[in-house]
Amino acid sequence: MNEPVSKLQEILDAGQFAVTGEIGPPKGTNVEPALHEAQQYLEGRVAAVNVTDIQTAVMRLGSMAVCHLLLDRGVEPVFQMVCRDRNRLALESDLLSAYTLGIRNVLALTGDHVAMGDHREAKCVFDLDSVGLLEAMARLEAGTDLGRDAKGNPNQLDGVPKFFKGCCVTPCADEVEPQIIKLEKKATAGAQFVQTQAVYDPAAFEKFMNQIQHVKVPVLVGIVLLKSAGMAKYMNRSVPGVQVPDAIVQRLTDAPKEDRAKVSVEIAAELIRAMKPMCQGAHLMTLGWDHCVPDIIQQAELA
Amino acid sequence: MIVAERKPFDEIVEMVAPYKKVLVLGCGSCVTVCLTGGERQAEILASQLRLAGRKKGLDLSVDFDCITRQCDREFTENLKFDPAEYDAVLSLACGVGVGFMSGVLPDTPVLPALNTTFYGAGVAEGVWEEYCHGCGDCVLAWTGGICPIARCSKSLINGACGGTNDGKCEVSQDMDCGWHLIYKRLQELGRLDELRKMRPPRDWSKNRSGGVRRLSREEMAEIAQESAE
Amino acid sequence: MQKADLTSRDIAELGRVTELMEREWSPCRYHCPVHADVRGYIEAAAQGRFGEAIDIIRENLPFAAVCGRVCHHPCETNCRRKDVDDPVAIRHVKRFVAELQGAEGCTVHKPPAQDKARVAIVGAGPAGLSAALHLAKLGYRPTVLEKFPIAGGIPATAIPRYRLPLEVVQIDVDWIRAHGVELITGVEVGKDRSIQDLLGEGYEAVLVAAGLAASRTLPLPGSDHPRVHLALDFLTALNFGDRPDAGDDVLVIGGGNVACDAARSCVRLKPAARVRMMCLENEEEMPAWEWERREAEEEGVGIIFRRGPVKVILEGDRIVGLTTRGVTRVFDSEGRFDPQYDDTDLSDLQCDTVVIAIGQMANMGFARGSGLKAGPGGRLEYDPATHQGSLPNVFFCGEIVTPPGSVVEACAHGQRAAKAIHMYLSGKTIQIDDSLPPYIDTIQPETAEKVLKVCRQAIPTDPPQRRRKLFTEFERGYDEPAVLAEARRCMNCGSGAEVLTDKCAACLTCLRVCPFDIPVVTDVARIQSTLCQACGMCIAECPANAIIARGRDVGELVQHTAAALAKMNGREPKVIAYVCGHHAGAADWGGRVEGVEGVAEIYLPSTARLSSAELLHAFENGADAVIVVACPDAADRYPQTADRTRRRVNQARRLLQEAGLDGQALQLLEVADQGRQAIRAALAEAAGKTSAS
Ligand SMILES: Cc1cc2nc3c(=O)[nH]c(=O)nc-3n(C[C@H](O)[C@H](O)[C@H](O)COP(=O)(O)OP(=O)(O)OC[C@H]3O[C@@H](n4cnc5c(N)ncnc54)[C@H](O)[C@@H]3O)c2cc1C
Ligand code: SF4
Ligand code: SF4
Repeated sequence: MNEPVSKLQEILDAGQFAVTGEIGPPKGTNVEPALHEAQQYLEGRVAAVNVTDIQTAVMRLGSMAVCHLLLDRGVEPVFQMVCRDRNRLALESDLLSAYTLGIRNVLALTGDHVAMGDHREAKCVFDLDSVGLLEAMARLEAGTDLGRDAKGNPNQLDGVPKFFKGCCVTPCADEVEPQIIKLEKKATAGAQFVQTQAVYDPAAFEKFMNQIQHVKVPVLVGIVLLKSAGMAKYMNRSVPGVQVPDAIVQRLTDAPKEDRAKVSVEIAAELIRAMKPMCQGAHLMTLGWDHCVPDIIQQAELA
Repeated sequence: MIVAERKPFDEIVEMVAPYKKVLVLGCGSCVTVCLTGGERQAEILASQLRLAGRKKGLDLSVDFDCITRQCDREFTENLKFDPAEYDAVLSLACGVGVGFMSGVLPDTPVLPALNTTFYGAGVAEGVWEEYCHGCGDCVLAWTGGICPIARCSKSLINGACGGTNDGKCEVSQDMDCGWHLIYKRLQELGRLDELRKMRPPRDWSKNRSGGVRRLSREEMAEIAQESAE
Repeated sequence: MQKADLTSRDIAELGRVTELMEREWSPCRYHCPVHADVRGYIEAAAQGRFGEAIDIIRENLPFAAVCGRVCHHPCETNCRRKDVDDPVAIRHVKRFVAELQGAEGCTVHKPPAQDKARVAIVGAGPAGLSAALHLAKLGYRPTVLEKFPIAGGIPATAIPRYRLPLEVVQIDVDWIRAHGVELITGVEVGKDRSIQDLLGEGYEAVLVAAGLAASRTLPLPGSDHPRVHLALDFLTALNFGDRPDAGDDVLVIGGGNVACDAARSCVRLKPAARVRMMCLENEEEMPAWEWERREAEEEGVGIIFRRGPVKVILEGDRIVGLTTRGVTRVFDSEGRFDPQYDDTDLSDLQCDTVVIAIGQMANMGFARGSGLKAGPGGRLEYDPATHQGSLPNVFFCGEIVTPPGSVVEACAHGQRAAKAIHMYLSGKTIQIDDSLPPYIDTIQPETAEKVLKVCRQAIPTDPPQRRRKLFTEFERGYDEPAVLAEARRCMNCGSGAEVLTDKCAACLTCLRVCPFDIPVVTDVARIQSTLCQACGMCIAECPANAIIARGRDVGELVQHTAAALAKMNGREPKVIAYVCGHHAGAADWGGRVEGVEGVAEIYLPSTARLSSAELLHAFENGADAVIVVACPDAADRYPQTADRTRRRVNQARRLLQEAGLDGQALQLLEVADQGRQAIRAALAEAAGKTSAS
């Protein structure tokens, strides 16, 4: 087996349960609060921290820079990369840049359409899709790129990167078969770990995990902290492949205002406890409530 | 066929503002079929421009005509009007026609009255949908005849992204997810194996990325050359 | 029938699109002996343009008023509407428009100069007067000589007044005379003046249109009794105010229309009398028109079938009956009249008066001193192709040479003779093209079922008990609302859509918008005239301007609108109202009833025909506001089009707004069928609204 290139890979390779967190870069240059949060609440508690890449097509500070700054502070980042904004030249180049900056974990994503964001007049690129991006990484690792020289031979690299390559999947999609087919392709293209879209239904997740037994890639179940009943309802309405069961919505509705954060944490922890036996890790998306992470980890009996 | 929609009227007015005598020229092909650029629309636009001109006190005279196709030289020779008599021709053809007419009428500005939008099919009365992107490298053989380049908002080639939701695209609830359609169709055809196949990064050089495209049918082009000699 | 494709070049060559209507006729027109443009005048009537309607009729039919009363109307018999519900009551529409304003109400088309040859015409019946009119229009100077003191022929002298008042005949006669037709009554040719005299007096041709002035008689023993009448003499006497001697038990011999008239006149002479008809034919064979017989029966006339007369039984100087015998057949195997009797089957019928109505024959008196040769069997020599007799400048027309028929057939024959005379006098060989264009087939059941069913307007008729006593008219005509409603039932056959194939982009719009599923699109669209209902929907929607209406010239509406606006000059604001002609609101149209100040009403066969472009053009031509007056869904002749019309008006509004005009200046009114007042009120209100904004 290959030498692990990151702590995250090391944990997963060792068959331990891995927890990852997530931060979103600011819209602007004021990067300190995000770094601070990551350091204060996530460092030492999670294996790595995902840094989103112009999430929901809302223009922000770049993921690569924030990943680099996290590394400086001793926090291992997962560099998220979407295909929306860069063609294959830029993607390959950014991968090399990231590597030279010490970034090893890369999560390959398609990316939300520009229509979802705040630059709706922008041109979508999508030169590669997520499978193609994984393939591009594999090529770089093999010492070539996606291009060809004049004779039609692959271009050789001077210095070769090595990544821990991730991808995502939506386990509770209304139509799961195409999700699984695509996951298979991502695995074939070289994906080494999977972080899922939010899951609130352990039974459905178990079913999904049974269906992908043949895909030999560790899965980190996605946990999005539900901050309120309103948010749960919004997700049911608008977020593809996410279904918050009525019982959870009801618990949030019933919770008095001052207890809401507590209930949120409880729900997240319960979900992790329930799904821990089914998968290899959990990916916590707190949407700014990073201060809750220690409690979640504790209540989920992960510490 | 090519589907187009009329430009906002104000934009058209601004375009013709520098001219006194304008010919609105319809095209009898695709844009007639999609109800945006045929003779009737030319008649209507001419009428609107005259009304607007009068309202604004402009010295503007507008006629209209329509030809079978604005993208072939032979058809441009049967105009009822002499375009040379006009300060500008406002074309209701797709961009192809506008561009081509610009070449045919070197001394007359040819202005576009339409926004050429896509290659589409009439899916219901008065409704057209994009079916093809003219990508230069057709994939319909393995996508059940449904084009992922045109009908997936992101032109993905390995399957739906995570934005697919109840068969709709994340861009809009009114938009079918192209990959959902492909999946359904391949399932019907018993050809989901096509979906499982890895699709390597596409060769976009056959698309616009390869620069201006041109088709020359050797057998015909040669004859044309010979006879030109 | 597959017809040839049409291109815009064909239309340009035709000049007027309406010429297309000449290529294929509606069946009503085809079957009309004078080929009056029935569809055209019914449409005019439907839109309240009554003056125009009568002018269209009179273009081909000089005896419009007479025919409005007594025509046997083959147009109606062949009206395509019969396969939808009932045929259009064409005759009654004609009656209304013909009598509305009398002779003065119709335009007289005098030729620029009337200086061609003088032509003498013998007989002022339908045939003679029609020929005279036609000759006058061609610039000849016709003189009609009539033996009776009144003109009009049989319609004036023998058709009973309760069916045809003399004033009605007079309308036609006056109108014909107004064209420079000289009429001399009380002159019997052959007695007072001979044909040779006329030719010597400077008439370059003579046309004999003497009709069948004499009743055929029967050589029955006893038929010289004064109470044995000949039908024609009997009817003529009545029309001239005499009261011929009839008893209480009348037997009319004959089963034709004349027999019916005689019988019905007898009823009126003595309402208490028993009146019976006796004919050789059986019920099916009886030659009288179905309605004549029905009306006779309603009035109490009995009919005895399949008996032939043998002798009049006299007791002293009184008639007591008629001996009759059985009839074994009337026609031979080839349909020729050849009655056979069973002489063992004899029986007597009681009666005290006998009227013989077994047909008419010519009175050959006119030929005296003419030098005309008689052919074999004592008949005059006559060539049906040229109308000429044995003298090249003596012509014949009408019933004197044709089998007995109808007024309108006599008119047609007179016109044909006039053409022959014109050719003859112009020094040309007489060659008349009798070919006709094809006519539109019966409506297909699939289409018929989609056509809105509308009952025929009832024709008000006096009850038989009242009719029996009166020689005055028994059938009241339609009033104006009834005429409008009835004329609106016409399906405008053959005036529908025509595709210009060179422009057609095969876009399928016509196919999609047609409420009747008529267009077929292959390489181009094709619309079969036999199926098209002429709603105009496809014409208004075609994005290629590739569909035209056969019944309307391209740009006609725009010009019409411009003219209406020009007439309103000086008045502000100017409002154009496009009113659905199938709207009872059209009820008092025609300038006869007050309109709304500043509003010019333009009637359309259907508002479905109005395109957005035409709406814009109205504004371009100076309208300050346009009001489209449509019927609410269910009331529309084409209920299926209402929604699209609505959408189109909305679209036109948007287009106006884009151009910087006020969208409110275009209004759609859906006014229910509540007559003129409703329309006026709605128009006034809408006009107020549009000018206020
Ligand atoms: C009783 C009756 C009822 C009818 N009802 C109908 C009906 O309801 N509908 C319908 O369509 N048709 C009807 N017809 C038929 C119709 O009247 C004739 O078809 C039509 O009148 C023929 O026209 P014509 O001009 O040929 O002859 P006529 O109408 O007979 O006209 C001939 C004219 O010539 C005149 N004339 C004759 N000899 C001389 C002469 N020597 N000198 C000068 N003048 C002369 C006659 O006086 C007469 O005025 C009816 C006919 C009859 C007899
Ligand atoms: S519906 Fe009108 S046009 Fe058609 S046959 Fe009847 S009267 Fe003539
Ligand atoms: S839409 Fe109306 S006019 Fe056109 S084909 Fe159909 S019935 Fe005829």
